[in-house]
Amino acid sequence: MGGSLYQRIEKECEEHISAALRSLVGQSPDLVVFLSLVEKCWQDLCDQMLMIRGIALFLDRTYVKQNSNVRSLWDMGLQLFRKHLSLAPEVEHKTVTGLLRMIESERLGEAVDRTLLNHLLKMFTALGIYSESFEKPFLECTSEFYAAEGMKYMQQSDVPDYLKHVEMRLHEENERCFLYLDAITRKPLIATAERQLLESHIPAILDKGFMTLMDGHRIEDLQRMYSLFSRASLDSVLEESFSKNEAFCNTIKDSFEHLINLRQNRPAELIAKFLDEKLRAGNKGISEEELEGTLDKVLVLFRFIQGKDVFEAFYKKDLAKRLLLGKSASIDAEKSMISKLKTECGSQFTNKLEGMFKDIELSKEINESFKQSSQARMKLPSGIEMSVHVLTTGYWPTYPPMDVRLPHELNVYQDIFKEFYLSKYSGRRLMWQNSLGHCVLKADFPKGKKELAVSLFQTVVLMLFNDAQKLSFLDIKDSTGIEDKELRRTLQSLACGKVRVLQKFPKGRDVEDDDSFIFNEGFTAPLYRIKVNAIQMKETVEENTSTTERVFQDRQYQVDAAIVRIMKTRKVLSHTLLITELFQQLKFPIKPADLKKRIESLIDREYLERDKNNPQIYNYLA
Amino acid sequence: MPPRASKRKSAPPNSSSVTSSDGRSVSNKAQTKGMGKTDRLFNTHVNSSLGMIDPEGIEALCADLGVDYTDVRILMLAWKLKAGKQGYFTQDEWQTGLKALGVDSQLKKELPKLEKEVEKPSNYEDFYTYAFRYCLTEEKQKSVDIESICELLNLVLGVQFRRQVASLVEYLKVQNDYKVINADQWINFLRFCKEISFPDLQNYDANQAWPLILDNFVEWVREKQS
Repeated sequence: MGGSLYQRIEKECEEHISAALRSLVGQSPDLVVFLSLVEKCWQDLCDQMLMIRGIALFLDRTYVKQNSNVRSLWDMGLQLFRKHLSLAPEVEHKTVTGLLRMIESERLGEAVDRTLLNHLLKMFTALGIYSESFEKPFLECTSEFYAAEGMKYMQQSDVPDYLKHVEMRLHEENERCFLYLDAITRKPLIATAERQLLESHIPAILDKGFMTLMDGHRIEDLQRMYSLFSRASLDSVLEESFSKNEAFCNTIKDSFEHLINLRQNRPAELIAKFLDEKLRAGNKGISEEELEGTLDKVLVLFRFIQGKDVFEAFYKKDLAKRLLLGKSASIDAEKSMISKLKTECGSQFTNKLEGMFKDIELSKEINESFKQSSQARMKLPSGIEMSVHVLTTGYWPTYPPMDVRLPHELNVYQDIFKEFYLSKYSGRRLMWQNSLGHCVLKADFPKGKKELAVSLFQTVVLMLFNDAQKLSFLDIKDSTGIEDKELRRTLQSLACGKVRVLQKFPKGRDVEDDDSFIFNEGFTAPLYRIKVNAIQMKETVEENTSTTERVFQDRQYQVDAAIVRIMKTRKVLSHTLLITELFQQLKFPIKPADLKKRIESLIDREYLERDKNNPQIYNYLA
Repeated sequence: MPPRASKRKSAPPNSSSVTSSDGRSVSNKAQTKGMGKTDRLFNTHVNSSLGMIDPEGIEALCADLGVDYTDVRILMLAWKLKAGKQGYFTQDEWQTGLKALGVDSQLKKELPKLEKEVEKPSNYEDFYTYAFRYCLTEEKQKSVDIESICELLNLVLGVQFRRQVASLVEYLKVQNDYKVINADQWINFLRFCKEISFPDLQNYDANQAWPLILDNFVEWVREKQS
């Protein structure tokens, strides 16, 4: 009895379903309308089957259960629907086409009926034809779409914009999986999009954009590039074994590292410069959190730099300038950066930097006691405020000694401080770094009194004009004893820049030998206190090259020392093993050719020799 | 190779320098009777005031032997004599060296014997190293200029390793990294010629302990070939 009832229900359903589907054939050329019809058809089926099942529940629970080859009523309905759908292939085909068109429209920015998509795709899933009938053509379509878009956008936009666009698209496709696509489509979908938008364009992206981003310190954009590239590889190999996955990921990481370090030391220099800009005062409108966030991002890139000693040299140089000229935006931010570097590279890296901070703090105390001291009270004229930074050599960058003949008064003040300091800390040697000094001068211009914030060298030049109205370049050079190039720069800053405290004759940007200078009677400025020492903060090209050169020279000594150290211990060592050991011990990047150079130099200086019997072996010469 | 007479430098101290009335050293006179033609050859070209053969004398000696003064065999002779100073042969060196060679009759005829002696595998490297040292004319000199090295390479290795030498000499003249060659590099030139197949350079590995100059040379050759 159960059997015959089942069959009759099945027959009824089949007739009904086949008719319903047949009625869709030839319906509506408008795809969206057609899709709504299909949806309605499907919805009706679902409702009706549910009802039938509700009525014939007993049948489901007994007859169906007892007969394993008999489907449940619900499944029967589905199966019938699927059967007759396949008998009307144009309906299925039209449905798929409609769906794909809708998705494409949405990608092109149109608003579409997502619910419709959702229901129909669920229908496909329920019918068990999702992968074959929908997903396959969908992925093909996606591939074509993004292939075309990728090419178009690569030509039209610059790299940072392109990457932003890619990021947005990937986000979109991800959303699509939540909104209407089946979850199983996510992986292949993202992989397809990434393949077309990223992987096929990686060489071009790197070619076009990488260097520009590096040069422009576009940290965020570089971050985006890195994360997109590493994701691209991750997703596409997720199917494969774990080890292959890691290797691929490492390849991307390695390539990135390789690229960053292709430009030798520029990245290290640029990152240090970027940090200097961020940590310097004058960065209005950036909150503490934003700054912290930026510093963290910089650290990500920092990890890729191989020549960290170059970074340290530049960072130290800039930090020194900030600390000495009081240009730090926030000491907390400075200290935060140091502790981040410490976590990254260990305390040896940051010891000296921390030492610099200690010196600054200690100097504050020293200056306090100096003010109270008998020397200051009795010998320093009132109205003269003097503060001194006492720096421990070794913590701070080396500053080339620069000669200058200070005016008598300034010499006296320096001696007064020296006397005070040595009375507290006997046995120390103080060397004045006159190139770093700065002063505030009270100037009496006819059009109004001013305070000029100037460097010590500028001070020395200006004070000459206390006793003379006009001076030639050569006069000034004689009196001040300042080195030629430095003097020209100083005079330029006083007479040829925005703030012209002196006037130069003849006019012109460069300081020539026959130039003369006069006190600018007509000087006027809106503010009372005027800064004229922009030079000290700017770096000269020579400074940068010499910083890098010093690091390289230092590296050479380190290599030599390492070779001798290793050979002294091992006595006898093969070339290959020596090279391996050196790469392990040396913390900066170096080419095997450069190592060979140092080895040959040491052979020449008779620290080691090649073994007579085996040319691959070195012997230590005691 | 021995310098021309014009490059006269101070002579090394002469070990046997007792002079008799006729200007010839005593021991010389005494030995003339006992020794053979080689001694007479020495005496013919000796610079009597120095008691040894000087550059001029060597040039004359070459003429006598029927070889060009740039001939490698003179270098070989210097090696065999263990001549300490380029361009000079002392009597001691002369006698000891030729005795060791086992030469008594006309030196001219014995030159092939000298060549064979040099080419013995056990001797060749010694000769080759000697050739370099022979060019260190100044007291603390450790390296030889590129041009002299090129001449020396041609002289010493030019016959046996013609192609390598031609290529290496060309390279040395165009490169800018090195203005002089030191002993270490010199000895490795020989090793290179002996061990590395040329011109394919198949078995050359820059990761081994070859001096950097050879790494650069190989790179240069490979670039030319491509």
